[in-house]
Amino acid sequence: MKKTVARLLSLTVCAGMLTACGGGNSSAPASSGAADSGASASGASGAVYYLNFKPEADDAWQALAKAYTEETGVPVTVVTAASNTYEQQLMSEMAKSTPPTLFQVNGPVGLSNWKDYCYDLTGTDVMGELASESFALKDGDQILAIPYVNESYGIITNKTLLAKAGYAVEDIDSFDDLKKVAEDITTRKNELGFAAFSSAGMDGSSNWRYQTHLANMPIYFEYQDKGVGVSETIEGKYLDNYKAIFDLYINNSTCEPAALAGKTGDDSRNEFLAGEAVFYQNGSWEYSNLVGEGKPFTDDDLAMIPIYIGVGDEANQGLCDGTENYWCVNGAAKEEDIQATLDFMYWCVTSETGTKAMADDMGFVIPFKGAQESPNLFVRQDAAYSAAGKTPISWAFLTIPSQTWKDELASVLTAYAAGTGSWDDVKTQFVDGWASEYAALNG
Amino acid sequence: MEKALKKYWPFFVLPTFAAFVIGFIWPFLQGLYLSFCKFITIDRATFNGLKNYIFALTEPDFLHAFWFTALFTVVSTICINLAALAIALALTREIKGTNIFRSVFFMPNLIGGIVLGYIWQILFNCVLTLLGKPLLSLHAPYGFVGLVILMCWQQIGYMMIIYIAGLQSIPGDYLEAARIDGATERQILWKVKLPNLMPSITICTFLSLTNGFKLFDQNLALTGGDPAHKTEMLALNIYQTFYGRAGAQWKGYGQAKAVLFCILVLVISFCQLRATRSKEVQQ
Amino acid sequence: MNQNKTLKDNITSIILGVLSIAWIYPVFMILFNSLKKETAISTGTAFQLPTSETLAGLANYVNALTSKGFLTAFWYSLVITLTSVVLILICCSMCAWFITRVNTWYSKALYYLFVFSMVVPFQMLMFTLSATADRLKLSSPYTICIIYLGFGAGLAVFMFCGFMKSIPIEIEEAAMIDGCSPLRTFFMVVLPILKPTLISVGILETMWLWNDYLLPYLVLDRTKGYMTIPILIQYFRGSFGKVEMGPMMASIMMNIIPIIIVYLLCQKHIIKGVAAGAVKG
Repeated sequence: MKKTVARLLSLTVCAGMLTACGGGNSSAPASSGAADSGASASGASGAVYYLNFKPEADDAWQALAKAYTEETGVPVTVVTAASNTYEQQLMSEMAKSTPPTLFQVNGPVGLSNWKDYCYDLTGTDVMGELASESFALKDGDQILAIPYVNESYGIITNKTLLAKAGYAVEDIDSFDDLKKVAEDITTRKNELGFAAFSSAGMDGSSNWRYQTHLANMPIYFEYQDKGVGVSETIEGKYLDNYKAIFDLYINNSTCEPAALAGKTGDDSRNEFLAGEAVFYQNGSWEYSNLVGEGKPFTDDDLAMIPIYIGVGDEANQGLCDGTENYWCVNGAAKEEDIQATLDFMYWCVTSETGTKAMADDMGFVIPFKGAQESPNLFVRQDAAYSAAGKTPISWAFLTIPSQTWKDELASVLTAYAAGTGSWDDVKTQFVDGWASEYAALNG
Repeated sequence: MEKALKKYWPFFVLPTFAAFVIGFIWPFLQGLYLSFCKFITIDRATFNGLKNYIFALTEPDFLHAFWFTALFTVVSTICINLAALAIALALTREIKGTNIFRSVFFMPNLIGGIVLGYIWQILFNCVLTLLGKPLLSLHAPYGFVGLVILMCWQQIGYMMIIYIAGLQSIPGDYLEAARIDGATERQILWKVKLPNLMPSITICTFLSLTNGFKLFDQNLALTGGDPAHKTEMLALNIYQTFYGRAGAQWKGYGQAKAVLFCILVLVISFCQLRATRSKEVQQ
Repeated sequence: MNQNKTLKDNITSIILGVLSIAWIYPVFMILFNSLKKETAISTGTAFQLPTSETLAGLANYVNALTSKGFLTAFWYSLVITLTSVVLILICCSMCAWFITRVNTWYSKALYYLFVFSMVVPFQMLMFTLSATADRLKLSSPYTICIIYLGFGAGLAVFMFCGFMKSIPIEIEEAAMIDGCSPLRTFFMVVLPILKPTLISVGILETMWLWNDYLLPYLVLDRTKGYMTIPILIQYFRGSFGKVEMGPMMASIMMNIIPIIIVYLLCQKHIIKGVAAGAVKG
């Protein structure tokens, strides 16, 4: 009896999804998943529900989920959270009766919030595929989270425009060089017809580039000085350098600093695509948005250079390397769903379709044995930097205590850029906010 | 009749009561219990004592939200009621176009909070840009003024209708008698109209007070609490604590704040109830 | 004296006229901005009427309708509002009749519970209510009306009780003596008398339900793509990766227009309903 009810329910659910998907191509903004018709018929027991962190890879995940369902009959739902709302959505989804079976944490800090819900991955097939066990996040003996992508970020540079301004990428290997080039472009902005930096938009779809990725720099160098990997207090020793690079971004931009508050990630990208700016701070995941069919750039036009802030051995500085994408399997899910999820993960990182999709469509380098060579220019560049003996900057921002810290940093940065707030507010938030958020994390 | 009806309770009371248990009683009790717990999902809640309440009462953001809400509520209540009363008085003078004016002033009431918030955000930001001032989300005083204006726009029409109904229910004899006695318009207003309007005034004050305290949609859409939680009101603060923060402890804090908020609203409503009661006795 | 009065009235008329133009201006502003091209919409130019260069015609509306899921959201909003209002009106009027006509401790207790629920802010229940709805599989647009019945019962029962008290009990008693069952009495005798009240409560509930944001946002299962118009409009901000002002304003207009049409059609009832509801409330 119960089974019949369950089957009926799953049928209606699938029908519901079909109608949701059928109503115009992917109209439903919640990016509802791809449980396809075959699913219920084959009577597969488990189901996968993946709460994806990366909005830019949403389309590719939906397609991959569909391919998996077609191949195996196991329904896979992929839901993607909007920028900066992942934790929020995870919180509310986990409390539901059908919680995500596969979710993400951004690193050790994220894991500490969720470790009670993580399934121990020790001895699973997918764990066996991980290139090195040391990549995984552990709690005691338990392996709770595994990274599925390695990424790097820096300043994406339009080489063609840079040449027009009379410079080459090789000319820039320190903060002073970057400043000189950027300010020179700004003085000749009208004559050249483009600006140095694309807008440092402070809208939620874009501000993570500054409150997280750029904020990494002062945190990283302070950790280096102290010789630690994580610290519950931060002195803000390099905040002046953070200010210098942020000032450089906002004062040599396509728009006035006061207008940044409303600029979005798309605005910034579109400016770069339209050739209105030479520099664009972003990461390797951005590749597929810049190069390819219908995109204006080829590999020859672009380069990614390190973010120089005038600290350390700049001549030997590499790109920022790391991952904030760790997979966790929900240990509170039904047994058959956990198994289905593990199978799905294994398939993603081993099968031809899976690895190809992750390498080509998502532009990922995956830390698994079956990884395919990525066509991603920035990934290849990152490897080249490392081969040349440059030291990659690790992602110290993984130790940022909370999303709130980031949001509030973004808020004071926005006010600073608009001229309504002072840099002291930024400092206060950076240093005091860090301490109080760590206190809250432990409390 | 009562006896016959009693037997029919499954038809009359049960559907509503069952839904009421699902939609109110059970969640309410569970919420009360969870305010003493640390939890992410309900089935894994652990008892936490009064820690959540201690946190909530000492958090600066929550206290700021309280004062912000209180100030907002007082200012908006005064503005709304004065304006609504003035318009109601003008519209009961039987001038031309009364019906059209009434329709126009009431219209914003039908529009939802989220939509209202965005309409006014676009408008304010345009004005501020033209004046060369920082945008709404960057300067808390603008956010405050913006919220007050928005609430006035939405609520004046509603309160106006209540005042008009109140004014129309004043017996014509009273006014007639006052006029015959040679009272001036001003005297009629203060000595006849306003005293007879007291029930309406209490209702409107109460409605705008509770609306102000419970305000959420408009706050979320207009400012979203920016900059740095400075324009965050109680309801939004609770929501953000609950859903905007990662980590198991926050939900407990949020739930405790919600209980405090609930008590606050209950106290205000209770005071209101007593005020109306005493007024009714006087009449 | 008389002349003086007409002069004064004229001045009041003019002031009110200006004020009401200011009153509808925001809506008008959204209307003409929604006709502009996406690129022409920016914070500084919201007051400018569209010119031949910036006029986009109905492109934003078409965009919102075809690719942004407006029709689905509209349908869900409609379903939720209609089912919930009908359910609330029928169930709560029955319940209120019972409460007012049966004089026992539990009917009184129930009445005070309903009144109490009216005052409690939604934040108090938001998490537990959405969890309960999820457990009981009430998180679809077709079943959420049960949640609304429960959460909205307070106001409706309270208002119905207020009106019921003023209905003379003799008519009902006469019907019962004639052999009508309580159910028949209720539907044949009480409901027709209640008609104006039904309209008032119905209007208040519709206004609330159509515009409600947080409850459906938390209760509806987003993994299945359920959303109402307010949720969709909130979603335009940032969740598509950028702020799409054009389709957003088109959606705002398409949210407002049905309301205004309904308002113009049954204005009298609405204004009466509000006045009556408030006096009782």
